[in-house]
Amino acid sequence: MAKIRLEKINYVYSPGTPFETRALRDVDLEIKEGIVTGIIGHTGSGKSTMVMLLNGLEKPTSGRVLLDGVDIWEKPKEISKVRFRVGLVMQYPEYQLFEETVAKDIAFGPRNMGLSEEEIAARVREAAGIVGLAPELLEKSPFELSGGEKRRAAIAGIIAMKPEVLVLDEPAAGLDPAGRERILATIRKYREQTGGTVIIVSHSMEDMAEICDEIVVMLEGSIFMSGSTAEVFSKAGELRRIGLDVPEITGLMLKLRDMGVEIDTIPYTVSDAVPKLMKLLK
Amino acid sequence: MNNISFGQYYPADSLIHSLDARFKVICAFLYIVCSFLCKNILSFAALLASAVILVAVSGIPMRILLRALRPIIFILLFTVVINMFWTTGETLLFSWWKIRVYYEGIMNALFIAVRIVVLIIGTSIFMTYTTTPIALTDALESLLSPLKVVKAPVHEFAMMITIALRFIPTLTEETNRIMAAQKARGADFTSGSVFKRARALIPVLVPLFVSAFRRADELATAMECRCYHGGEGRTRLNVPHCRPRDFVMLFVIIAFGAGLILINIYGVGYTMK
Ligand SMILES: Nc1ncnc2c1ncn2[C@@H]1O[C@H](COP(=O)(O)OP(=O)(O)OP(=O)(O)O)[C@@H](O)[C@H]1O
Ligand SMILES: [Mg+2]
Repeated sequence: MAKIRLEKINYVYSPGTPFETRALRDVDLEIKEGIVTGIIGHTGSGKSTMVMLLNGLEKPTSGRVLLDGVDIWEKPKEISKVRFRVGLVMQYPEYQLFEETVAKDIAFGPRNMGLSEEEIAARVREAAGIVGLAPELLEKSPFELSGGEKRRAAIAGIIAMKPEVLVLDEPAAGLDPAGRERILATIRKYREQTGGTVIIVSHSMEDMAEICDEIVVMLEGSIFMSGSTAEVFSKAGELRRIGLDVPEITGLMLKLRDMGVEIDTIPYTVSDAVPKLMKLLK
Repeated sequence: MNNISFGQYYPADSLIHSLDARFKVICAFLYIVCSFLCKNILSFAALLASAVILVAVSGIPMRILLRALRPIIFILLFTVVINMFWTTGETLLFSWWKIRVYYEGIMNALFIAVRIVVLIIGTSIFMTYTTTPIALTDALESLLSPLKVVKAPVHEFAMMITIALRFIPTLTEETNRIMAAQKARGADFTSGSVFKRARALIPVLVPLFVSAFRRADELATAMECRCYHGGEGRTRLNVPHCRPRDFVMLFVIIAFGAGLILINIYGVGYTMK
């Protein structure tokens, strides 16, 4: 069952001016419920634009966005309800922190939902646990945190709204390997605890291979390819032709196969590749 | 692209766009003088015709230009009404109760309206629509540079304006981004009382100020790293060149002004007091 459906979506920035840009062209897409969908594509291919359409931050120039089969723009006055159901973590979300303490900042979303104080406090604690923020950090000012901690605090602010769909736009951009690993752990934990649908935009093929069930490839505002992670990464040639790549380990295994080494299925994560390589070494 | 996609600059490939910004500033000034030289029907007709030619040459669509007039519509109507009803003259056209409308009043109102419209269109065409704000600041710096002799900080002032202009689009974009991020968390900027709406801006203003200070700090460091020490002995990347067309434009406008003065001497048609 499709959780979110995009039908014939077009999106144009600054229409009717010399700066008109067509960011999305005739996009048709289905996001399945309860899995992790990854979106990859070149810079400027329209990924951020597309995710902002999913929770109604932007209105498509033409076309429909369906959430559980209902057009989200049917009642424009109630668009904020859609935003609580589809939680969007924007690119570089650390710049949105503003409250005196981290806890208060995480509580901003739940408070806007009109929840009771006990419920808010419980959600803040739970969200902080999922992103791995230590309780003593919660009473600090968000401006005293490190970059990675700020990022996780901002993600917690969205998770605390308990959205049905969690959308993350390049959540690991600009973080060190440890910070990146923590973000991936957050997503895994979120999936375990809530079973919700996750959409994640990223430039790192390794991250995508590790965490996604399905992948959507965008090219110049259109969907270039979509399918399961294995399907998409098996088309290394096509991905490379549009300037993207497969995970390095997949590249290595493909090269080995080209050299005549016998490999049945090409793995796309290191942990899958290790047993195959071990077998070859024997 | 983002550096210029604000304000009123309208990118196009026209003669006026290609002129040196310093000449455009002078031309705009002279054109204002010209509009005040007009005194009678013939000279106002000439002024109107010159504005039409200017619009045609500039390649800017009329719809965009009319937008520049929108903010002054009220002032325009106000001046027209004042002139129409408060000018006394010889030929009474219409009177009712205490209101008297004279032929002179109508003509004056018409002249003033033409003058204001041409003034706005002329200066917008020479300056805001065809010159990027940065080029305009450079031009002002260059034109004001004689003031450096009396130790006026012309360069520093121009640099401040350039930096401020440079950051307008950046901060606008940032504001939009922060607003979107807070909307994603259910913030509502459009409903409720004035007080509630003002409060709703706190989640936008705090991050905006934090980031503006951070950017200012980074920029200052970056400038110092590249040994910026003020205007003394600093050369330019884009040295402005004046070309024959700049002088031709200047000459055309001066000739136009001289023509207007001649028309006034011969005093054709109704002459404004
Ligand atoms: N606010 C805006 N105004 C005008 N054009 C925009 C705006 N935001 C994005 N665009 C344009 O829309 C297109 C798609 O941009 P978008 O930000 O969706 O790309 P992206 O795939 O997220 O890129 P990145 O990987 O760099 O984040 C680009 O051509 C961009 O220049
Ligand atoms: Mg993006």
